[in-house]
Amino acid sequence: MLSLDFLDDVRRMNKRQLCYQVLNFGMIVSSALMIWKGLMVLTGSESPIVVVLSGSMEPAFHRGDLLFLTNRVEDPIRVGEIVVFRIEGREIPIVHRVLKIHEKENGEIKFLTKGDNNSVDDRGLYKPGQHWLEKKDVVGRARGFVPYIGIVTILMNDYPKFKYAVLFLLGLFVLVHRE
Amino acid sequence: MAARNGKNGLLEKWRIDEKPVKIDKWDGAAVKNSLDDAAKKVLLEKYGYAENFNLVDGRLLICTISCLFAIVALIWDFLHPFPESKPVLAICVISYFIMMGFLTLYTSYQEKNIFLVSVQKDPAGMDLNHTWQLSSSLKRFDDQYTLRVSFTDGKSKHTREQEITKSVGAFFDGNGTLVMDQFEKCVSKLHNTLATEKKTK
Repeated sequence: MLSLDFLDDVRRMNKRQLCYQVLNFGMIVSSALMIWKGLMVLTGSESPIVVVLSGSMEPAFHRGDLLFLTNRVEDPIRVGEIVVFRIEGREIPIVHRVLKIHEKENGEIKFLTKGDNNSVDDRGLYKPGQHWLEKKDVVGRARGFVPYIGIVTILMNDYPKFKYAVLFLLGLFVLVHRE
Repeated sequence: MAARNGKNGLLEKWRIDEKPVKIDKWDGAAVKNSLDDAAKKVLLEKYGYAENFNLVDGRLLICTISCLFAIVALIWDFLHPFPESKPVLAICVISYFIMMGFLTLYTSYQEKNIFLVSVQKDPAGMDLNHTWQLSSSLKRFDDQYTLRVSFTDGKSKHTREQEITKSVGAFFDGNGTLVMDQFEKCVSKLHNTLATEKKTK
């Protein structure tokens, strides 16, 4: 039987202290959640921080870069600007440059994108039958970036067991450790 | 009957109230916590006071309300995807951070360093309950532990305090095991000083 000495503190706790340990864990998770939702509200984007997943925008953005997005209604989308968009039915956001725009008088636009480092435009990536993207597909525009940090996120997604192990250990530590 | 005994048996094995407290002597937080717990034990078990949980309950309530705001935000956003949920999210986020502010104010000004509020019930049952409060401090990387006992008379509402500062080395042996006898002596002395003061006044 393992010597579970590290649980000694927990075993000596009364109901209220145990309750506080769980609440403490809950508050740490809630704080992270609230900061994320707060950023969503502030920037207007449903995913205010994204990681560049491929090298299709080199040399501007490399795989693993962290991008900070805003999605204000007033920002016009113009040819040559970089947008982050999601293709209907897919979860992964894509960071590419706008190539062509068709604009109606009332401001509705349809646009075509292409990665700087790709040889063809993105029509191959769009939904079958879809030839243009619209404003509703846009997640946001990049306003700032931090290089390399996103590699951790990519690693965690490529090795989900590693991610669960790290989260489990962190959670256990918070629950067992007294302030 | 057998089932209940079985459950109690498991609970007994889980709780280790009687095992001597052994902690990492270099971990300041663990040292302070174990000394605080031991002081609590002395007052509650030796002198038989009843613990008053109002202070702790207040803190638990604030934490619970904060978590509720977060849960509401999570569920609402799940049911009504982003752009529609903006106003609700904004309210929840702002409320959450206001609650965090409350919590900080509460722990700093209401709770301060108090870790025990106990009531000494008058044996004659004449409704004059005295309050004993314990608070302590131990600076980071310091070995001087200060224990403060405060006695509030039930009738006159007058508060008297007494404190003692000692090195934690006086209560722990080399392995990090708490020497309960020494510490109990110290706490009892502090307690009795205050109790006798009460009688002479």
